[in-house]
Amino acid sequence: MTDLSEMVSVRYMVDDVEQAVDFYTKVLGFEVLTNFPPAFADVARGRLRLLLSGPLSSAGRPMPDGVKPGPGGWNRIHLIVDDIEAETARLRAAGAAFRNDILEGPGGKQVLIQDPSGNVVELFQPAQRPA
Amino acid sequence: MNRTAAAGLALLLAFGAGAAAAQDVTKAYAAPVRVRYVVDDVGASAAFYTSKLGFKLDVQSGPYFAALSRGAFQLLLSPTKGPGGASQPMPNGDRPAPGGWTRIVLNVSDLQGEVDRLKKAGVHFRNDIVSGLGGKEILLDDPSGNPVELFQPG
Repeated sequence: MTDLSEMVSVRYMVDDVEQAVDFYTKVLGFEVLTNFPPAFADVARGRLRLLLSGPLSSAGRPMPDGVKPGPGGWNRIHLIVDDIEAETARLRAAGAAFRNDILEGPGGKQVLIQDPSGNVVELFQPAQRPA
Repeated sequence: MNRTAAAGLALLLAFGAGAAAAQDVTKAYAAPVRVRYVVDDVGASAAFYTSKLGFKLDVQSGPYFAALSRGAFQLLLSPTKGPGGASQPMPNGDRPAPGGWTRIVLNVSDLQGEVDRLKKAGVHFRNDIVSGLGGKEILLDDPSGNPVELFQPG
């Protein structure tokens, strides 16, 4: 069912791989591909393969200057939804943390969810364009 | 609301998260994988991704937004300030900024060759090639300091 050759990968650093797998599968509907806690797991949604790397994974090793990779920042996967208000209400009821409230830009409405490590996921509802 | 959206909402209300997620996944198979990066300068970043990493420019809205594609990826570039939704501060005053460790992973067949080519082109790397269980990887920085991972499986 999941053809890895058709997929592309995004890597998130996470504090706790098991907790991250739980969040992405139960809250955001990803399926598990591999799961090797506490180092690494990967989960999929459509053609997105999300790599969840813990502190003990090769991606968690410090840089040559000693800086250690970690979660956070603002770069994020961008998930299109049909009804951002309904999704936001569903996720709030499921206990998900949000960085902001729904806001509207020229392209559509968006909101930022945080995963348990503090990484951000964007939900986006494109603006209706005149026919 | 159109019929499809109404049916989707009805499913969501009837079956909760599971049904809605399953429906999203089906739809997502045809769509590109979108990732948003926050950048200091949309033009400079778009030039970097197109000239160095093989992306093509899909659309650009002056200094405020650009979308670039490479295979199944669509990379959205949003500046730290501007009219776009992604450029707005959070309710607590935090402003979006480039950086961090979240990154797109670009698969390459000759990692060392790519690294040599990009170093000659003046690209900054955060580390040296690291070998892990699944393959070899390295992190480079875009002009705003956002990481991009190059990965050679095997």
